[in-house]
Amino acid sequence: MAHIVQSLDLPSNYKDSQSRVDRQRQNELLSHSTTLYVGNLSFFTTEEQIYELFGRCASPEDGGGIKRIIMGLDRNTRTPCGFCFVEYYTHAEALASMRYVSGTKLDERIVRCDLDLGYKEGRQFGRGKSGGQVRDEHRQDYDAGRGGWGAQAQKNEIDRRRQVEERYADAQDGPGAVASGGGEWKQTEVPETGGQKRQRSPDNDDENERVPQRSKLDEVDDEERM
Amino acid sequence: MSYDRPQRGGYRRRYRDDYDDRRREPVETPQDQLKSHIIKLGEVDPQQEISNVRAQIIALPPVISNLSESFHLSVTEQPFKIPYYAALLRSLHEDGGTEEGVSLGKQILEEFWRGFQGYLDKLAWRETRFCVHFFAHLTSAGIVSTESFIALLQAFTAVLDEFGVSHGRAKRAALCAAEGLMIAGAAIRTQSPSSVPEIINAIEAYVDTTTNQKWLVQPTAKLHLSTVDAESADEVLDSALAALKALDTADFDGPYPRPYADYEALDPSTFTPFEFPLVLVTPEVIEDDGATDPEESAVQVKKEEWPEYYLRLFGDDVSPDPNTPAGYAVRTDLCAIIDIFEVNRKECARLLLEYPKWTLPGTFKPRPGAPPPETEPVVVRDWQLESTILETVLASSFILPDSSHKQIYYIGLISEVCKLAPTTGGPAVGKSIRRLFTNLADGLDVEIARRFCEWFATHMSNFNFGWVWKEWIPDLELSVQHPKRNFIRRALELEIRLSYYDRIVKSIPEQMHPVSAHCVPGEAPGPNFEYEDPASSHHDAAQPILNLFRGRAKAEDVIAHLDTLKNTLETESSEAGRVFNVDSVMRSIAIQCLLHIGSRSFSHLLNAIERYLSFLRYIASGGVTEAAGSGLPEAKTDILNAVSTFWKYDSLMVNIVFDKLMQYQIVDPADVVGWTFGHVSDPQSDLRTPNTLTAFEWMLLKGALDKANGRVTSARRKLAALRKEDDERHARATAGDMDVDGEDKPVNDTTVAESAAVAAAHKAFTSLTREQKSTLSQTLEGFVTCLAPSATSIVGPEAQAILTEKSWHNRANWGRDEWNIWETWGWYRHFCRAYSPYLRNYSTTLSTVTFARLEGSSDPASELLQKIWNVAVGQE
Repeated sequence: MAHIVQSLDLPSNYKDSQSRVDRQRQNELLSHSTTLYVGNLSFFTTEEQIYELFGRCASPEDGGGIKRIIMGLDRNTRTPCGFCFVEYYTHAEALASMRYVSGTKLDERIVRCDLDLGYKEGRQFGRGKSGGQVRDEHRQDYDAGRGGWGAQAQKNEIDRRRQVEERYADAQDGPGAVASGGGEWKQTEVPETGGQKRQRSPDNDDENERVPQRSKLDEVDDEERM
Repeated sequence: MSYDRPQRGGYRRRYRDDYDDRRREPVETPQDQLKSHIIKLGEVDPQQEISNVRAQIIALPPVISNLSESFHLSVTEQPFKIPYYAALLRSLHEDGGTEEGVSLGKQILEEFWRGFQGYLDKLAWRETRFCVHFFAHLTSAGIVSTESFIALLQAFTAVLDEFGVSHGRAKRAALCAAEGLMIAGAAIRTQSPSSVPEIINAIEAYVDTTTNQKWLVQPTAKLHLSTVDAESADEVLDSALAALKALDTADFDGPYPRPYADYEALDPSTFTPFEFPLVLVTPEVIEDDGATDPEESAVQVKKEEWPEYYLRLFGDDVSPDPNTPAGYAVRTDLCAIIDIFEVNRKECARLLLEYPKWTLPGTFKPRPGAPPPETEPVVVRDWQLESTILETVLASSFILPDSSHKQIYYIGLISEVCKLAPTTGGPAVGKSIRRLFTNLADGLDVEIARRFCEWFATHMSNFNFGWVWKEWIPDLELSVQHPKRNFIRRALELEIRLSYYDRIVKSIPEQMHPVSAHCVPGEAPGPNFEYEDPASSHHDAAQPILNLFRGRAKAEDVIAHLDTLKNTLETESSEAGRVFNVDSVMRSIAIQCLLHIGSRSFSHLLNAIERYLSFLRYIASGGVTEAAGSGLPEAKTDILNAVSTFWKYDSLMVNIVFDKLMQYQIVDPADVVGWTFGHVSDPQSDLRTPNTLTAFEWMLLKGALDKANGRVTSARRKLAALRKEDDERHARATAGDMDVDGEDKPVNDTTVAESAAVAAAHKAFTSLTREQKSTLSQTLEGFVTCLAPSATSIVGPEAQAILTEKSWHNRANWGRDEWNIWETWGWYRHFCRAYSPYLRNYSTTLSTVTFARLEGSSDPASELLQKIWNVAVGQE
């Protein structure tokens, strides 16, 4: 740990305007965070591309790995709108991504990472008036990877676009819309008699695997970031 | 990246944000400022700044702790500046001193020494080593007693004689001793001529004991050789020794700047050199996590326990030879920068590119177009900076079995170097790639080749995929499994993963387009749903279950439908007279339909798996009962088969799905290992020799092994934490009991519950350890089956002869089988050395079971299998 230069894994000054946690509590939560916000993605970038790059920071030998990826979607069109959340199993992996991946290119765009408080229901959607990210409403430049001129999306790269448009057409919202990615290993018991329910060890803290894991912080609100 | 932009419309909410306590600069005290001046010594001209910084130090009332800390940070985090810090401290010894005649310099040194002892107690080797460099310069500068410095170095060589010393510890201690002697050799020889050969001999005697380990981690794999053959690589202790011997014969006239050299001698009547107290290098402690069961604490995975080979890419005129004193010094400094500044790759790149200013003038060739140097070159070496940086970063990333940091760090670092020095960094990257590509044909280790490939693809992804592929067109003539062709194929595969098919195909010459060229597939990677085509067999049978999934039917309903599906298939089987395994086909249909539903994206896959977890468990258990413990092996094989068929054109997805099936405990890591070896025994492609492994299979094995090991690591951590909590609670309870006299306390419910938690955690740990052992043993077994001589082997005698020297020299004529088998040996070697900390734990049982059948065999393959194993587990 070098003292004479600033580490790249420090969280930014971003403060979710809809979050009601104070700064101190937020810092505390971020110091254990396993989730990254990833911004400046091309609208065409797929989760598998993200997996390939961010998988390089995974430490499965230490109980880690990519837990899930949540693609940021336009609220109205249900198409990717240029950000995502990457959730790991460990904090160290999120820090590694901050140090080694943030500021490098994915799909020929420089992506930006930030530690995040963790996914909450509804946060997968853009917050702009048009349904996408706020930054794309105000953008003055032409950006082919983000739908062309500002909010009036110019549809080019038609083949890629069509695939992308269809991909998330079935995206749901509400509880359970986003999978958890799988929890910790749990003891399975060989039942003495057939037909019993699967037994879990008493240390199981996540009884129902079907319900997505929630952030412990109820007061954190949803939403994308700038 | 900054959020401090001027306000624009739409940001009104920002005003409501609670004020930001981190945005304000903390108030800097004069002592803070001084610390910062000391740390920044030499930003422009180190030589001149020494007197300025000295003046600033003297101007303030001395706070020794602050000054000592400033020196500590400077020395341990900027080792390339150590000679200048030695000069600064030397200059602070000059005036009589502040109080009681003790100079400020000496006070700082006394405090600094205490800090050093702290590093030594914690076995913080990096800090310890750079302090030794600092002390060596102070010895040369005459402010430390040479006698006491020699004693310090002897404390390090004493480590080499410890019984059962680990390689990591011995290596670090040897480097401290060697480098201390390199820097202060002239003073040491004057004081005590016999100490020089004593130290050198102690290191040499240790190095002589490491031959076997070196054989296993050398970066080229020539299977016929039982000795080390590292023409183009240097082991770090070998290099240190060679550089030391060269200095010994050259009167220790080392390549180090010595800015203190022309300072006036201190007055011997008033000045006495600082005497280091005698020290002992703290013994290594076995971590005590409160475990009572010896198995629990047995596996402590340590990195850097092997000899370190650094690959050379360029000639001695382009980059320094680390076996020479000057080359060793440059290599050491660059490696230190790469290691220390891992937290900020951008700063790291900047410091690497600025490194020449800390070396003797003339060490590096001036940049093209740079103004002529102000100082006359002291040495004439003219190395190329960017090539040297590239060589050192790549060599560090290629260290076997594991680099110190993640591959992606080194990759990102090289990108930053290229961004800062585009005109010189780019060509250095190109030269490095070409050199490594050539090495592929000469036995470059398979794991290094894999890392090379990963670097190549990721680097190109950051630089517009601009590689001159056409220069490799002639290599398409080579055998299809030749390492160079594997590299081309794999690099393009990784590029496509990071980008997309059309983009990458456009970046390569036409000669590489046809499927017959085996460079890129004929179309973009995608799913291969066998039952999609209405003409395919079982299409009709698959439709109802697919529709159930599409309609998000409940898992129970899909399970209920399986009987119908089975009946349909049984009818098909008897009517059409085609005999097939009805259960297997049923599972294949069920799993492929589910994968089809989840094929749109990784998230879709997770949703599909989570929604149908109970269904998947039912399938994995062979349909006996939903609750069966670890499932039915053939059912799990069918599941994995279905995955590999469905994603046969997309290897990343096979990795992902296998990973998540393990995560959700549908299959176990050992199932994946078993499946992988089963799968290679009957390859579906005539490009592949049966029973051989490529990087793809290795990644599957690695995924399974890491999952099994990672679970044990997590479980151990959890158990240790619970035990600690439990102990603390007991301690508190006992203390509480003493407070309340004579009163019978009721049994605390939480205490009982918590102890149950410990018991459950222990049980989980035991299960996971068993699973780990079985995963490791199946992997070993699988490799031995692939590589041991067998009467039924279908490969010809030429391929079996690849272990001979004659065959190796004839490798230009090797075909598919030879290269496939050679690569499999490479993965076996890597398995043994990479997982050796885990394997050692079970070495006796594993080897007894696996190697029993090779007992007494004098076949070269049997012998090599056992030799690699024995070296890896430390039995040879």
